[in-house]
Order: sequence, then C-alpha cells, then structure tokens
Amino acid sequence: MLALARETITVDGTPVTYLSGGSGEPLVFFHGAGTFHGFAFAEPWTENYRVHVPFHPGFGESADDDRITDMHDYVMHYMELFDRLELEQVNLVGFSLGGWMAARLCTEFGHRIRRLVLVAPAGLRDPENPTVDIFKLKPDEIVERLAHNFEVLRPHLPEGHDVDFIVDRYREMSSTARVAWERLHDPKLTRYLHRITVPTIILWGDKDRIIPVGQAATWAKAIPDAKVHIVPDAGHLVLDEKPEAVATVADFFGAAS
Amino acid sequence: MSDANDVQFYYFHFMPYAHYPEDHKKYEATWVNFPNTIYDPEVGHQLYQRYMSEMVLADRLGFDGICVNEHHATSYSMMPTCALMAAALIPQTTRAKICVFGTPVNLEYPSRVAEEYGMLDVLSGGRLEIALPLGTGMEYWVHPINPATSRARFRETVEIMLKAWTEDGPTEYHGDFYDYRYLNVWPKPLQKPYPKIYVVGTGSPETVEFAAEYGFGYASVFVPTKKQLQTFELLAEKSAAYGHEWGPDKPLINVFAYVAPTDEEAEREFLPHIKFFFEDCLRVTPSFLFPPGYLSTEQFRERVMRPALHGEFDFDAMTEQFRVVAGTPESVAQAIAQWVTEANSTRVTCHLHLGDMPHWKTVKSTTLFAEGVIPRVRELLSQQSANLMRGAAE
Repeated sequence: MLALARETITVDGTPVTYLSGGSGEPLVFFHGAGTFHGFAFAEPWTENYRVHVPFHPGFGESADDDRITDMHDYVMHYMELFDRLELEQVNLVGFSLGGWMAARLCTEFGHRIRRLVLVAPAGLRDPENPTVDIFKLKPDEIVERLAHNFEVLRPHLPEGHDVDFIVDRYREMSSTARVAWERLHDPKLTRYLHRITVPTIILWGDKDRIIPVGQAATWAKAIPDAKVHIVPDAGHLVLDEKPEAVATVADFFGAAS
Repeated sequence: MSDANDVQFYYFHFMPYAHYPEDHKKYEATWVNFPNTIYDPEVGHQLYQRYMSEMVLADRLGFDGICVNEHHATSYSMMPTCALMAAALIPQTTRAKICVFGTPVNLEYPSRVAEEYGMLDVLSGGRLEIALPLGTGMEYWVHPINPATSRARFRETVEIMLKAWTEDGPTEYHGDFYDYRYLNVWPKPLQKPYPKIYVVGTGSPETVEFAAEYGFGYASVFVPTKKQLQTFELLAEKSAAYGHEWGPDKPLINVFAYVAPTDEEAEREFLPHIKFFFEDCLRVTPSFLFPPGYLSTEQFRERVMRPALHGEFDFDAMTEQFRVVAGTPESVAQAIAQWVTEANSTRVTCHLHLGDMPHWKTVKSTTLFAEGVIPRVRELLSQQSANLMRGAAE
C-alpha cells in the first residue's frame, strides 16, 4: 500500500493538485463538498490501481476558477484533465457532490468510463427521501452529521477557534454554492441516467444523515446496470468509516488482489 | 469642485417593525427566519402612518433629503420595496431629495429597476437620488439568486441600467446574466444623464473598484468609522485613476444622533433605543450575514478576524466605532462638524429614529436637530473655512 503523492497540473489556466499513486488500471476518485477529512481511505486502492484523487477547482489544494458556474463546467474540466493525463478509460468513484459530478460525466461521456461507483451521491431530487440542505446547516451541524462513527472525523477537526479551518470551509461551501445554491440537485439528471450503461454500484451507509440511504433505490432504478450495496452502521462518510466499503470498490473494478 | 460648505442632511428612516413579542430573544435572528406571524398588519398600518409623518416632518423642517431603504424577510425595515415608499412620500413632500437606498438590484430585472427609478425621478420632478446596494447576505437567503455570482451579476445589472438611461431606446444588451432584444425603458429619468448614484458597500475592494470606475459616490453604513475613512481615501485615489473627480459630495457619512436640551437628557432618552437597535433589530447569524460565496475568501478571512458587531451592547465602544452622538444641539453640531471635516464629506445621513423609539422622542429630536444642529454645523464649517482662508491670506 502506497501513500499518495502530490502532483500539480494547469488545466485550462487553473492550477489543480491531484494525489496519485499505485499502478494498474486507472481509478479516479471525485471528492465531495468538503476535503478536510483527507483521502487516507483511498490508499489501499494503490495496491491494484493507478489512483488519482484530484481536488476540484475551488476545493482543497486546487486554485479557484470563477468561470465554473454549473456541474457541466466540472464535467468539461475533468474531460480535459483526463486527456492531459492520458486517461483513455477510467474506473470512476464519485462521492456525494463528486457522485453527482461523476454521474453527470457518465451520462455525457460514458465511453471514457469503464466502471462506475457512486458513493452516497448528491444531485437527485427524491421527494420521498430528501437530501439535507447543507447550506441551511451551521458548519458544526454539518460536521456532526457527516459520520456515524464520529471518531473517524475527530483527528481532522481543529481544537477551538481555527481561522484557517473556518475560512477553508467557507471557500469550499462557496465553490459548492457556485453550482448548487439554486438547487441541491439537477432536475434533468433523472431523465438522462439511463445513458449510464456501464456496470455501476450505488454504495451507501445505512446511517447516512446527509443524503438518506433511501435514495439508493431511486438511483438504481434509473441506471440500467446498477446494483445497490448498503453498508451497515456507516454514515455519509462510508469510505472513511468502513474499510469493507473501500474493498467493495476495489473488488468491483475487478483486479485480482 | 463641489462646495465644501454645501453640507446637506438626509433624514434616513429604517421604518422598523419594533413590536417584538416578549420572548423574542429566543430567536437567533430577526432576519431571514424570524417568523412573519409576529407582524400584526393593524400595527403595521399605524406604524406606516406614523413613520411617514416623521419623514414628511423632516421635509418641512428643512432636511435636504429623505432616505428610504429596502430589506427583506425582516422586522428591521418595513420596506421590502423602497420604490413604493418613495412613491408614497413624493406627493407629500415638496423640496427634499428622495434617496432610494435602495433596491438590491440583483433581486429584480435590471430593466424593471431602471423603469421604477426612472418613474420616481419623473414623478418627483427630478428629486431622486440612488444608492445601489449589492444587498446584505440576508437578502440572498430569501431570494433565488446565487450569492456566489452576486458581484458579477451586480456589475452587469448596473451596466444595463446605465445603458438604458444613457442611450436612446430601443437598444440591446447581451451579457452573461441577461440578454435584452429590446432595452427600451419608459420613462428614462428626468435628471440627465441619470440621478446621482452612490454605491452602498462595506469597503470591500470589489465595491470600491466599482464605484471608482463609474465615478459614483460611496456610502457605508455598518462599518467602523476608521475603516470608512480609509475607504474614502482609497476611493479618492482610485476615482482619479479612472478620470473621475472625488469631491466632498461623493462620500455619504452616516450619523446616529439624538438631540435634547441637555446632554444628560439626550443620553438617557436615546440609550434604550440604540441598544435595542444594535442588539435586536440587527440580530443575525454569521451564516445569514455571509452566505457561501457572498464574500471572496480573502474578505471572509478579514471579517472572521474583525470584532463582532453584535453581542453585549456597550455604548462607549459603539461611540468609538461609529458616529454616534447624543446631546445638546451644540454638542451634536460640534461632533458632526468634526466628522464632516475628517471625512471631507458634505453628505450626512442622519438616523434620528432608531429601533423602538416612540413618536414623541423622534419628533423632539428631529425638530431640535433641524432647528439647532443643521444651522450650527453650517455656521461652524463656514467659520472653519473663513479661518482657513484668512490663514492662507496671511
């Protein structure tokens, strides 16, 4: 198992950082609306895959790009990044906001995706299982809801009043607002999900208190070749909380371990 | 160059709904999510009558202007549209300028604000002045407009309004947020090319740059005086760089004042209301103030480091941070003359009614201000400039 190394590349004028390591078929991970909990969970994937964890423009260690105003702009950003990294076809994992991004990308550029895992993805309007409006929550309320086992988050949280931490969260929420303030879903996404024809897993923690696990079935119904995998006793941060969820992803992409 | 002695006084009324329930402290904010069931329209009707009478009185007493403002989903101001209140005041007043302080232009179509303001200027015979706010963060929680793109939208909106007013219609506009096949507002303002405009801001680099670029005036309200003065200096410099003159009629300074026959009486009668105003009328949460993307990351960092505006009320701290004065006409005039001089400003907005101040106090203070403070400030300033002239001559 390798630690991920830091690389920087300028994509259409915006310097972006990505973490990278391992060898094998490419595996790309799209993170969610907050990056403070890190990507240590992704390290086991380096045993069998060439792992890339890019920071989206406007998040974490990547620069801002104020030309981005909707999810499609992120899709185009990633098509350009894939081209630059010569990633012809990738195994794609998208979590939460990154799940929305991955699903949208796959509806448009399905031929660039080998297999897809959507981990507690955002982006769907499911009136029976409504997504919590993170913009209405106070920052500490979001943190409190992220994990079922709060201990996985604790090492990543500052002690007391930490200006840098507060400012970083504001920046990432601002970047999220650029694409999701008007609505925390894409009203047309459901209409196009049938265009995702690659094998897909919908992975969810059964104790998710941000996006209810009930949405898993709604996604699976809309994507032709999708299977649902529910992880017991896990919250929204199912990958951070459960090594077996990380292993499920690796197994699904099919490399022998 | 505008005349440094031409100091003008604007009567700025927030028209609050100040009849809070006894348990109002249990609400985290009096904006955005303060339940509208608290508002009693019968009381609201009485308040409108009363507040309008106070503004009409200000016109009769010789204030140079009357300011009406606009906020949404709050008890802070009963003017969710300032243009309606301006229209109601125009036929009741004869001489005061009416300053709309103003519609957050992002919340309406640019053509519509241009029409409304054009209409008000024609209706008033050219008495309109305009302050353009981006809108507080709170406005973005109650409208479907993205705070993260608000500054770019604001620039475009103002550009459209100016185009609608300065060019003969029909014309067109093709931008990032709006596309007009026919931009053709009826009516254009009576004042040419358009009424005087101020940008309302908190001194952020974005609004300063914007005001300088267009040669607009600048008004900041809840910004510590020291920071305002720095902003005005920066504006003078930047406006010149854009080829615009920054005269004393450009910075609008704001004064919270109460006038009574003695200093002691003034302070005693004023204190509960300014306390209520800052503690309760302005009670908001940090996230209501700064929705995501409303501030740049750099500006957000600066605000996080700044001391909070709300919290435990401290009159002395307040008078140090803001232009707050309660006293005899002479003490108030002395204070204002000094503020006008240090800001090199001749435009003073006066908040004489605040919070839950009753009618009798408002009328008393307003009358004493008009009769005792305004002429005295003018006298002090002309003495000052006479002394300067004499000094220069010697």
